[in-house]
Amino acid sequence: MSLLNLLPHLLNGIALGLLFSLIALGFMLILGLMEQINLAHGSLFALGAYFAYAICGAKLPLPPDVLVAWAGVPLGLRFATAVVVAPILVAPFGIVLERLMRRTYGRDPLYGLLLTFGVAMVLEELIRVVWGTRDYMMPVPRDMSGGFIMLDLIWSTYRFWAAGMAVVAMGAVWFIVERTRFGAMVKAGAHDSEIVQALGIDLTRLRVWVFVLGTMLAAFAGVIMAPLWGIRPHMGVDAVVPAFLIIVLGGVGSFWGAALGGLLVGMVVGLSGAYASEWSMLSMYLLLIAVVTFRARGLFGKKSVLEA
Amino acid sequence: MPLFEAKDLHLRFGDRVVLENISLAFEAGQLSGIMGPNGAGKTTCFNVLTGRYKPNRGQVLWQGDDITGKSPQDIARLGIARSFQLMNLFDEFTVFENIAIALPGTRRRGHDMIARAYADTALVDEAYSILEKVGLAGRADDEAKSLSYGARRALEIGVALACRPKLLFLDEPTAGLGSDGRARLADLILQLKGELTIVIIEHDMEFLFSLADEISVIHWGQVIACGAPAALKANPWVEASNLGRLN
Amino acid sequence: MAAARTVPSFTPAMLVTWILFATVPFWIERVGLYQYLGVEILIFALYALAYNLVLGHAGLPSFGHGAFFGIGAYAFGLAQSNVVPNLWVCLAVAAGAAAIAGAFVALFISHRRGIYYALMTIAFGQIFWFIAIKAHRITGGEDGLLKIERLPASLGITTFNLGSNIALYYFVLAVFAVVSFLLWRLVHSPFGRVVKAIKQNETRARFVGYDVWRYKAAVLVVSTTLSGLAGGLFAMAQTSAFPDVMSLHYSGYVVMMTLVGGGLVSFWGPVIGAVAFFLARDVIGSFTTGWMLWFGLSFVVLVLFKPEGIAGIFSGVMNGRDKIVPRPAAAPQSQAR
Repeated sequence: MSLLNLLPHLLNGIALGLLFSLIALGFMLILGLMEQINLAHGSLFALGAYFAYAICGAKLPLPPDVLVAWAGVPLGLRFATAVVVAPILVAPFGIVLERLMRRTYGRDPLYGLLLTFGVAMVLEELIRVVWGTRDYMMPVPRDMSGGFIMLDLIWSTYRFWAAGMAVVAMGAVWFIVERTRFGAMVKAGAHDSEIVQALGIDLTRLRVWVFVLGTMLAAFAGVIMAPLWGIRPHMGVDAVVPAFLIIVLGGVGSFWGAALGGLLVGMVVGLSGAYASEWSMLSMYLLLIAVVTFRARGLFGKKSVLEA
Repeated sequence: MPLFEAKDLHLRFGDRVVLENISLAFEAGQLSGIMGPNGAGKTTCFNVLTGRYKPNRGQVLWQGDDITGKSPQDIARLGIARSFQLMNLFDEFTVFENIAIALPGTRRRGHDMIARAYADTALVDEAYSILEKVGLAGRADDEAKSLSYGARRALEIGVALACRPKLLFLDEPTAGLGSDGRARLADLILQLKGELTIVIIEHDMEFLFSLADEISVIHWGQVIACGAPAALKANPWVEASNLGRLN
Repeated sequence: MAAARTVPSFTPAMLVTWILFATVPFWIERVGLYQYLGVEILIFALYALAYNLVLGHAGLPSFGHGAFFGIGAYAFGLAQSNVVPNLWVCLAVAAGAAAIAGAFVALFISHRRGIYYALMTIAFGQIFWFIAIKAHRITGGEDGLLKIERLPASLGITTFNLGSNIALYYFVLAVFAVVSFLLWRLVHSPFGRVVKAIKQNETRARFVGYDVWRYKAAVLVVSTTLSGLAGGLFAMAQTSAFPDVMSLHYSGYVVMMTLVGGGLVSFWGPVIGAVAFFLARDVIGSFTTGWMLWFGLSFVVLVLFKPEGIAGIFSGVMNGRDKIVPRPAAAPQSQAR
């Protein structure tokens, strides 16, 4: 296979990798900065997708005439609304989850893992109860859908839009964590909650906000992934497992580790897809095991409470 | 030939030098002390001697054999046991089982998945003899985490003794103990002194000077003085170091 | 002379559990349930007991155990059609295949603990699950491996046909009794106590001379072997093998069963959990399709308020002493203290 033939696989892989990075980022925020594992991240991701579908498809619990009027609005506007509103609608779930998790702070991190696993099961089942088990297709505005031709190859337009949105969201997170007072407090809190409290920072509120941010990122990722993956109850697991792997691969506690881990996984999946598309998802597990066998804390990981 | 010898140990964490040129020798049957201010590298030194860290350079010799870089379990099996400054017990086990699990007799049967543990009365007796030595025989059935601080200190030493060591490292055994506890500990150590070789890290100069045959002073990751207690008392460096005047 | 300090080989809780299970076929249909449910419960109780060796006794949170159950199921089916259709051989192959897979995984993860252990087991679990789905030619992919027979149990003198659910139930109960007895002995053997010590304090265990890596690897292999055995029985019960039992969900279910039942504090906790899980599925499931919603909620509540699970709530009743000390045996106590 020539290099040119590999190019689309590589580019698709990078696009996929950026999306993986985005999914992993919200996970990372909660895990790396608060040392809490949120297995329900995938369910929040799925909820984002379902809410976006409900908004775009005008399938909301609202009076019929409002819905009819809403359905008449151009799809582009509805999609844009979904991108903004769906994460906001999911945020309260994150707040509730954080409240539940408070009881596990200071205990073995295993309890956080178990708790969020239970919550993930509950949310997934809730989705089944509300929306049923069938698959939904997320409508995409015409300007963002379809394909275009470049270098004699057909490219999916939406994939690039999605990658672009992922880059914007990641940039925003980077800015918040690295350049704002909020981010500085969060990072300090991760290392020494006593110092943070001594400085008069309200740690309880800080944690809520981190959870809100993490939840909204998950939901946002769910919205922009929905047109690519389709919407089904199981999508949460499909998302959280790669996120998990990316974090371990990149290293717990490292922002760039997560971003790079995501890209790496995307590229490996994309390129291995060129040779054995059936088996491409397997490659990311093999990558993880290869990396972690030789570098116990992943590519950029630091020592953390998780090793206890 | 000394029973245990460390030659020229160096250890770095990243670009920070923690141990620099440490050489120590412990003669069989002697009680040696290591002292020095906080952060001087005493516990790190123990950690290198007992296999927790690998030194970047240097050698550790046991009865003349090179054991540098061996794992903690291999070193323990040679007959070198240690206690910890921050207590390190099997918290959910009873006092009895904390001791019993550490006995070489249990360890040799560790791969047995079907026999019942502690069915061997000789083993149980052995555990009790150690419990008696550290004064905990009456509390054998209590969970380790329910013990008072002083009793946990005693159990900490008991677990190390249960390994049936030839050489015993004690890391600040008096930490947090009142004068009663110290006196009892001194008795225990005197009693053990005849049976095995002991190395103690200690802050309390008086405690150490009354027990030790030989003392090494560690500061800035180096041995700055070494000798019999009487000789060291005259050394101005030693007192200054212990009072934290050298910085 | 101090008395030996051991647990009895047979305990009231053990005998009560066995006897209760032995009566199930007589009344299960009268309470509106069905015989096959009993088979399912027993197999998963066995699986959960095996799993708890890792989670409860060794403190190693495996989130990929479904893989070994599934490997056992496939191995049973494949041995039947490719090796020899003999029950004992096929069950041995099921257990053996899971043991090999477990040993392979143990090579990579036995130096880890806590969340990293969980992460790595998820990764390996997904790999096996993925292979099961994609290796269509061997496993039948998502269509599953069908036409697995319920082989007769030959005991030399006589042979039992396990075609009926009741016969199979009693066969599984016999396996359950043997395995639960052996596990009880294992937990209280020197090996079991060392593993428990490692759970509490890996560092100290190392410094008293235990090769922690080996013990962690060994306990995982024992657990996966028995999980594979349970998987083999399951393949026989449903006369087929599917990849779904290897998925992250099913791996999570066994974690839930074990915890809900109280595996962290009680030897028999996982058995209670398996019973609770299947009763919830069938009883709540008969009212609403979203039974997992309610089971998941109760799991969340238990994790938050009572991590010791059901057995922890009734610890007095269900021999909550299991985790604690071996008490002095009834032998005459002339202790020289």
